[in-house]
Amino acid sequence: MSDILDIRDLTLAFKGHRGLTEVLHGISLRIAAGERVALVGESGSGKSVTARIILGLLQETGSARVAGQVAFDGRDIMAMHPRDRAALRGTEMSMIFQDPTSSLNPTFTIGRQFAEVMHRRAPRLSRTACNARATEMLEEVSIPDPARVLDAYPFQLSGGMNQRVMIAMALVNHPKLLLADEPGTALDVSVQAQTLRLMHDLVEDHGTAVLFISHNLGVVREFADRVYVIYRGRIVEEGATDAVFHAPGHAYTRALMDAVPRITGVGLPEVPEVSDAFLAPMVRHGSAS
Amino acid sequence: MLPVLRILLRRLGISAVVLVGVSMLIFAIARVIPGDPARIALGPSASAEQVTALRAEMHLDEPLVAQYGHFVSDVLRGDLGQSLYTNRPVTRDIAEFLPATLELVIFAGILMVALGLPLGILAARHRGRWPDHLIRVLTLLTVSAPSFVWAVILMLLFAFYLPLFPVAGRISDIYEIERITGFLTVDTLLAGNFAAFADALHHLVLPAVALALSGIGQAARLTRANMVETYQKPYIEMAQAYGFFPSRIARSYAFKPSLIPSLTIIGLDFAAMLGNAFLVEAVFAWPGLSRYGVNVILRKDLNAIMGTVLIIALTFLIVNIIVDLLIAFLNPRIRHSTRAAS
Repeated sequence: MSDILDIRDLTLAFKGHRGLTEVLHGISLRIAAGERVALVGESGSGKSVTARIILGLLQETGSARVAGQVAFDGRDIMAMHPRDRAALRGTEMSMIFQDPTSSLNPTFTIGRQFAEVMHRRAPRLSRTACNARATEMLEEVSIPDPARVLDAYPFQLSGGMNQRVMIAMALVNHPKLLLADEPGTALDVSVQAQTLRLMHDLVEDHGTAVLFISHNLGVVREFADRVYVIYRGRIVEEGATDAVFHAPGHAYTRALMDAVPRITGVGLPEVPEVSDAFLAPMVRHGSAS
Repeated sequence: MLPVLRILLRRLGISAVVLVGVSMLIFAIARVIPGDPARIALGPSASAEQVTALRAEMHLDEPLVAQYGHFVSDVLRGDLGQSLYTNRPVTRDIAEFLPATLELVIFAGILMVALGLPLGILAARHRGRWPDHLIRVLTLLTVSAPSFVWAVILMLLFAFYLPLFPVAGRISDIYEIERITGFLTVDTLLAGNFAAFADALHHLVLPAVALALSGIGQAARLTRANMVETYQKPYIEMAQAYGFFPSRIARSYAFKPSLIPSLTIIGLDFAAMLGNAFLVEAVFAWPGLSRYGVNVILRKDLNAIMGTVLIIALTFLIVNIIVDLLIAFLNPRIRHSTRAAS
């Protein structure tokens, strides 16, 4: 049981005006300690809600119906009291968001926000200790002038800077699991690549397991050890990154890869909206594992 | 804090311009209303010579521009002229009546902020559930009726049918309080007379609540609306993802950014209370500036009218400056705007 995260047969439905709408139809996913796993799929496939279930955020909204097993570090998240789930957030697991600048509180300085995050782990940490630790972390993400950044507000920094700040914040408490929801999608490509490389090296050093949520196959290929492909609330394919990229088994995975525009290009590829083959399961849950 | 100082100076400059505009406007209005102020002041039995003499004394025989010049130079020397109604300097009248009004308005303003904001926060935190629905219905009710209607309703309910509060006045006749600031709640405390303080406060409750009710409703509804919008922002989700306590998120992550847009409206509401106080003071026989204003308008007491309007405009501007500074203080984008500008 060295799995940091073990999800089995997870279903999610939202209560609407016309009864329940199921958006996750029983997905299973494992992440070993220190492993980098990507969850790839198109918008609306159920990637982000999965991350919010792991954090325990969706369970607390009235309209969501979540069922199945989610074990984090051997503890059953689904059976936990909301208070115990909240205790894990920001300490044992943390999250990086899509748009770094709007994900930081606009009315607080970076230093103050760092301190708030650190107080999740050590409530009595002094101001100077917080600053010292934050400076250390900012240096780790190659921010040249940490003291200035700590005194700055998010709107005074560039998107790439804020992204680094967010990575540093996410790792400052040494979480066991980092959830990265389309990190840096709001940034331009070269800055995104830079920060992802940085994040890659950092999580390797810290031994942090990562669930990397993305629709960007190029990025996933660089970053992840293993890949899960999710389509319409089902995992349709899983495997080691290289294996999946070299020999995609599932029709949807192939379509997804064909959808990557190429420089040598023949223009934008033709991808069918839906094909019956996309819905054919390749991964079977339950008895096998 | 240099940028804040810059904002202050700019606001002061703009306020000066506004004040000049207001003075021209009231001067013009006062001169175009029909009726000769000198004749009204002296009464129907005065002779034509007496009226002419008074007109000359009041500069009413000079051209309008010259009259305005006299008016401005007098005002700048702190002389608002003589009230034809009370036969005292207008400045003295204002000094006597203004504190009562300010006491009422400030107390109502405190009620508005102290009740309105927490109600809005509560509703936003429980949006879509029963506390939200209850607060929304109640606040809709309070904003639906003007303050003078609330004044009459409250007086009937809590002073007449249920005699919990006094019907009118600022303080019971049995107390003799030395006038220091003119604020009875302050003067009674300065005199060390706590029974009188309680009595003054007791008199203050109904008119202040009547004056504040619609403001409380508006502040609550506005805060709720802004906070509900802020709750959709990514940084709220980030705060939740880091496991911050919901009360902490409500206070520092949802409320603080939402307060900035609310504050402007709350400031305007606060200033609008000065106008609403006219009617509330009339209902509760509150001896304030508003009642004085109504009396002097009815008697076409030019100097007193202009003095009153000027003072109210001044209060309005001061409130606006305070609000602007508060916003600058809360919003780092404004506070640090030098960097963006230069």
